[in-house]
Amino acid sequence: MRKIGLILSSIILLAILAQVNAKKMENTSEHKGYKIGDAATDFHLKNVDNKMVSLSDYKNAKGFIVIFTCNHCPYAKAYENRIIALNHKYAPKGYPVIAINPNDPKIEPQDSFVGMQQRAKEKGFTFPYLFDEGQKIYPQYGAVRTPHVFILQKENSKNIVRYIGAIDDNYADANDVSHKYVEAAVDALLANKPIAQTSTVAIGCSIKADK
Amino acid sequence: MRNLILILLTMVTLNSSGQNTENKPLALSNTVRHNNVVKIVRFNDLESVIEKSDNKLYVVNFWATWCKPCVMELPGFMEVNKKYQSNPHFKMILVSLDLAKEVGTEVQPFLKKNKMDVDVYLLDDNKHMNEWIQAVDKSWSGAIPATVFYRNGKKLAFKESKMDKNELEKIISKYL
Repeated sequence: MRKIGLILSSIILLAILAQVNAKKMENTSEHKGYKIGDAATDFHLKNVDNKMVSLSDYKNAKGFIVIFTCNHCPYAKAYENRIIALNHKYAPKGYPVIAINPNDPKIEPQDSFVGMQQRAKEKGFTFPYLFDEGQKIYPQYGAVRTPHVFILQKENSKNIVRYIGAIDDNYADANDVSHKYVEAAVDALLANKPIAQTSTVAIGCSIKADK
Repeated sequence: MRNLILILLTMVTLNSSGQNTENKPLALSNTVRHNNVVKIVRFNDLESVIEKSDNKLYVVNFWATWCKPCVMELPGFMEVNKKYQSNPHFKMILVSLDLAKEVGTEVQPFLKKNKMDVDVYLLDDNKHMNEWIQAVDKSWSGAIPATVFYRNGKKLAFKESKMDKNELEKIISKYL
């Protein structure tokens, strides 16, 4: 009887231990950065035309589609035409695209400022393509991959984060998209309606920084 | 004697029935092993492979041939795989996020060139990224490389960034 008791108590102990262990699941990937509703920082970054650009320059904008993107990443490249189309559609409505390259060219030479100038020219970017020199802005936003979108809405001279995530649900094929997340979010903001999906995730290239 | 035969018979039956139930997902990994045939899967198929209840520690690495930090960490992963491969409680699986149409032009040549002896799946489920990325881990932003550790369908650890050999081994030895 005593033996059974011992066995039972060991089983119980083991079960408790297992549970404690389960709770301690390792996760080293905690993300800092903005959450929906936070006020985003303005910046003063160099555009491919060598002029400095800040959000505050856009007096008449209702908000911004800030996209962290780059030259080298296949996902970013796959979205270039769609980013141009977004700016074409939403800049006149008050939500221009502001693209920012967050990568350190020391780690990814293709993402150099000269590389950005070439890419912007080749693709005919109609929006600013800014260089996050020193990699100071993207960590504040909490961007972790390219492309990574932050939709901001102007409110009492602050820029409030309204959407964080992917452009749509199919990077590989623009003709087979079912959910245009960014368009839906900006459309909702323009119509003064709540955004149905305020955050999404997608595979992308990790931002290259010298840590 | 009769009892012994009965026991033996039961064991054989149990064994074969066990094999039968596992045959479908296993057939995938068998074709993959050693000949670098990359199996193209949806997330549901992948789940049935990496979340099996077979007491093995599954080390599942999400990567792509175009992803530099992924490619940089792979030699370390291959070294670790070589070391633990023979352990019946260890299984490493690489999940390529390359385009399915590039499996023959990019993924397979890469595996061959780097003599990678490991199970490789290509996850072709782009339209459901927003669902399966969160199913793998709530904290995963979608940046790769990312590595997740499972045993018996239970997630033990998740890491969204490049890992060196020592870091990988530290996690493995903790759970193996």
